[in-house]
Amino acid sequence: MIRFENVGLRYGSGPEVLRDICFQVHPGSFHFLTGPSGAGKTSLLRLIFMALRPSRGLIYIGGQNTAELDLAGRAELRRRIGIVFQDFRLLDHLTTWENVALPLRVLGMRETDYREDVTELLRWVGLGDRINAYPEVLSGGEKQRAAIARAVIGKPELILADEPTGNVDPVMGDRLLRLFIELNRVGTSIVIATHDYALMEQLPAPRLMLHSGQLEVH
Amino acid sequence: MNASELWAEFKAYPWDSLWQELLPARYRTDSAQILPSASIAWNALTVVIAIMSFLACLTVGTVYMLNQSAAAWVNDVVSEVTVELDPVDTPDIEKKMTLVALFLAKQKGITHVRPLTVQDSADLLEPWLGRSDVIEALPIPRLIAVEIDRTNPPDLPLIAKSLEDNFDGVTLDDHRRWQSEIRGVTRTAAMGGLFILGLVAAATIAVIVSATRSAMVSNREVIEVLHFVGANQGFIAGEFERHFLGLGLRASLVGALSAALVFLLLPLLMHLVGGGLVAAAETRRLFGTGELGIAGYLFFVLVVVVIAGLCMITSRIGVIKVLRDYD
Repeated sequence: MIRFENVGLRYGSGPEVLRDICFQVHPGSFHFLTGPSGAGKTSLLRLIFMALRPSRGLIYIGGQNTAELDLAGRAELRRRIGIVFQDFRLLDHLTTWENVALPLRVLGMRETDYREDVTELLRWVGLGDRINAYPEVLSGGEKQRAAIARAVIGKPELILADEPTGNVDPVMGDRLLRLFIELNRVGTSIVIATHDYALMEQLPAPRLMLHSGQLEVH
Repeated sequence: MNASELWAEFKAYPWDSLWQELLPARYRTDSAQILPSASIAWNALTVVIAIMSFLACLTVGTVYMLNQSAAAWVNDVVSEVTVELDPVDTPDIEKKMTLVALFLAKQKGITHVRPLTVQDSADLLEPWLGRSDVIEALPIPRLIAVEIDRTNPPDLPLIAKSLEDNFDGVTLDDHRRWQSEIRGVTRTAAMGGLFILGLVAAATIAVIVSATRSAMVSNREVIEVLHFVGANQGFIAGEFERHFLGLGLRASLVGALSAALVFLLLPLLMHLVGGGLVAAAETRRLFGTGELGIAGYLFFVLVVVVIAGLCMITSRIGVIKVLRDYD
């Protein structure tokens, strides 16, 4: 699903924040991406998501070399990926329901075809009573759950989550992890960036450890 | 089912959904707008586009009106020629008028001959020279209006030569010079109108390009999120395009309605500010009665459609270009 070959990343003319990154994520696998703050976890996720271009090396997503993709090709590939940002990236002028439905709308689906699915997912993540609320009135945890719901609503082949349990209580954290595990069971590849060791202890998944811009697989 | 039940059912019917269904997916607004309306300086833009539409409609209306007046005038002119008699050195001008009129009436292709009295000539000159009793004292040329059969026109050069051979100081004016001048003026007005329309279109495009860029800057976060959820450039451009199409339609409609109001009130304005007889006569000559007619107003609909289309297409091209630049 993901293959990095000697990937390096630098911002502008600064030093390399990621160096010689090589790893593979097979379809249907579950990985944790961990490391200390500032180790480059978010940058690595952004490279996978094609929000950044590597300074060197090759990145293959879904068997496609991302360097060879045009705008349309990248958009097509992104539809197969769900991403949860650390800062949620919810649109403030849309309700929770509308934010979560956005990926389906982008796919050109009719509202009548996904209305129930979105509502059901929001109930499942505990936002059933916040369907019509705008992000500015949601708590950090609620925003986190809405962002996760938006990432998974389109049943993507790969989910990238940046600290998905960072703003929720342990009970909700367990529940969200269960959601990721369920999605993984039906074939979705999952990469969760976290430094929550308690979360990682719950699942014997491979860990991609980032340290000083370099990656080790445990 | 009684009337009130019928009315209640009519009101409860999802008309909005029905309308939405008629629109292509990208133009449906049954879901919330992805681009927040408040994020774009719509009001200022609406005013600018409305002014552009107003100017375009004024130009189109004026050119159309001039064209109609000129066509009507040319039409009148080609079905009539004028014979002019020089009164100088002619002791009995009335007798000469009768002889010339009789001569003309015998010619093939002439349907009616009407000698104009001194009073008729005086009336024609009154707006320019004042009271008729003064005119009557002047040696003004006498005129004979000759109506010709347009289906079987006479040989005018031959008639002109016969008149010159048989009568001293009698000439025939077939108005060709005037027709040519009218056509020249109409053509110039049309070219001027096209030039103004071109300027309006260029200004509209420039304004929309600038507004699109500023809208994209203020909606950068929205565009990023759309990219993250897999929106392609066509979808993102479609969102902007829909906003600009709506804005273009609304604004150009306001401009066109304002221009229509001006043209509706034009006959009244011409009457109120017509000034003296000369000014009124000149204005009537240029603009006819000042009424635009249904066909003229249909051109306004065309202006609305073109401006709205221009807004839509320009914003789409602008968005796609900027997205490529971002990439």
